[in-house]
Parts: sequence; C-alpha cells; structure tokens
Amino acid sequence: MKRKVLVLVTLAALLAAPTASAGDETRWINVHVTENSSNTNVEVHLPLNLVLTVLKNVDVENFHGGQVDLEIDEDMDINFPEIIAAVKDAPDGEFVTVTSDEADVNVYKQGGTLFVTVNQKDDEMAKVEVTVPLELMDALSFGEENTLDVAALLQSMDELPNGELVKVTSTEANVRVWIE
Amino acid sequence: MNGQRGMSTLGAVLLAGTAGLLTATLMMDWMVVDVHVVEDDTPIHIKVPFPLVVADIAAGFIPDELLEEAEIPPEVTAQKELVLATVEALLDSPDTHLVKVRTEDADVDIFKDGDTLRISVDADDAVVRCNIPIDGVLAALENWDWETVDPQMIFDVLHAAENGELVTVTTDDGVRVAIKMW
Repeated sequence: MKRKVLVLVTLAALLAAPTASAGDETRWINVHVTENSSNTNVEVHLPLNLVLTVLKNVDVENFHGGQVDLEIDEDMDINFPEIIAAVKDAPDGEFVTVTSDEADVNVYKQGGTLFVTVNQKDDEMAKVEVTVPLELMDALSFGEENTLDVAALLQSMDELPNGELVKVTSTEANVRVWIE
Repeated sequence: MNGQRGMSTLGAVLLAGTAGLLTATLMMDWMVVDVHVVEDDTPIHIKVPFPLVVADIAAGFIPDELLEEAEIPPEVTAQKELVLATVEALLDSPDTHLVKVRTEDADVDIFKDGDTLRISVDADDAVVRCNIPIDGVLAALENWDWETVDPQMIFDVLHAAENGELVTVTTDDGVRVAIKMW
C-alpha cells in the first residue's frame, strides 16, 4: 500500500515539474566570485530583464543606450559581421592555438559553440574558459560607427539554454558567470 | 430632566470627539524611534512616536533659500532615467535572494520580497536590518524634480513603508536603535 502511494506521489511530482518550470519564465544571470586571499565570496543572482533595463538606460562616455563604442581606429577596416558569419559557417575544429611560455590560448568550435580557453603559466596561473553559443553569435550586432549592441546580445540570452558562459579560475580568485 | 439631556448631549459630543480623534490617530502613519541601551546596570529604553503628518507639515516650513543652497549635482540629475528604470524593473522582478556577500568581517544579503527590498548586514560589531519600500521609493523619485533637495521625498517613502521595523541597528556594545512604522 505504502509503495503504491509512493509511486503515485512520484508520478504526480514528475507530471507537475514541467508545468511548474514552464510557468516561471524568468531568466537569471548568476555571477559568483570567490577571492581566495581574503576568503570573500560574492554571489549575484539577477533577473535578465533587470540587467537589460539597466544596460539600455546607462548613458556614460563609451556606452549609450545599450551600445558600446569599440573605439576602433577608423583606418582599420574590420568587417565584424563578415568575420562572425565566417566563424558561424565554419565546421567544428580548432581555429587558433597559441602556445607560449606565458600562456596557452585556444579558440575552437564544437557542436556549434565557440570556446575560448586561456591557460596562464605564470603570475596568477589563471585559467579562463569562455563559452559563446551560436545564438549569441547571431545576436552580435555592430553599428556603422564601430559600436557593439550589448543590449541585443544580452536579450538573446533569453533564448539560450541554461549553461555556463564564463569561468575563470586562478590562484587569486575564481569567477563564474552562467545563465539559468 | 433638561439638565440630564444636556449632560447626555455633552457626553455624546465628547464621545464622538474621542472616537474621531482615535480614528484619526489610527488612520495616520506613525513613525516610532525605539532606542534600547543595555549598558551595565542602567538599561535605557526610549520610545518616541511621531505622526508623519506632522513631519509633512513641518517640511513645508523649511525656508526655500535653505533648500536652494543644497544643489543636486548634475551627474545625479543625468542619471534620472537610469535610476527610475532600474527601480521600476526591480519592482517588477520576481522575489529572490539578489546578492549574497560573505567576508571574514561581514555577511551582506539583499532580498527582493514583494514590494520590499530587504538588506541585512551582519558585521563583527553590528547587525543592521533594513526594509526599503521599493514602490514608495519609485513614487518619491517620480515626484521629485531631480534638481532640488526635497525633504518630502523621505516622507513619501515612509508613508509607503509597510508596518513594522524599517531599520534596526544593533551594536555589540548593547545599543539597539529601531525605526518602526505603525
């Protein structure tokens, strides 16, 4: 009898779970910073909409209305949309591999996601892992005057599956940014 | 007989007056400053209830020249849209534990709980609890001209605060100060 009740409760819980998660559509940006030397731990858990609203309303020197001025020299003719399109269309594989005494850098694409890893070999021995999902690349929008639409980039995170975006581990501090 | 009727009329007037006064008192927002000092053998407890309507009226008597002298820096005025949009977005956000900071000296937590932002600081030498009415802050900021100091803003926020403790500060040397709304 008890087993029957347990099975029924488990089934009810399983059926209710997707309904509950579908109802809560808020996306969250999480940032965790742990500073090793001072034993400080900071956890920030913000709704994506709140971050977007703030970004769109910031009006400072190089940042207006969610757009950041990349301050690229006008003489440099960089076609960012073309570069991004090329990266998007490229097959999976390693794009950049740099090995030096100071650090190893790898840029590679796997399953439609771009990964950038940096392994520092001295100082803070930092290890950086940046994940750029395809949806983010689609949202990379550049203005005519070398501006990057950060708000559009962030807006696109609304469609991203839950996952890690940035992870930095070093002797000094650990940083983790993820969306859920 | 007439005398008896006169007494009862006076009684009725007094009763009505008392009831009116009581209703007005209950309807008014009150701020209570509650100070406890537990030091050695002489504990002190001071409770000062203060009707906010009095503060509203008193604010009207502050000379304009004094307020004009206290100018708002243009950097603050320039951020009006950002601040209003942020507070509005915060008000619309779901309830959550927004920020958690743990250090060797203090723990800081910020929660969004309904229309209230709850800030708690647990430091080595003091504990602070603060409940900020987000809706009240938004209303006050919307009504503010962002150019001059307006004491009325503070009272607008206080009027919007929920009943209970607005701020409490407890220090390790036995002092507890609480500002309560009633």
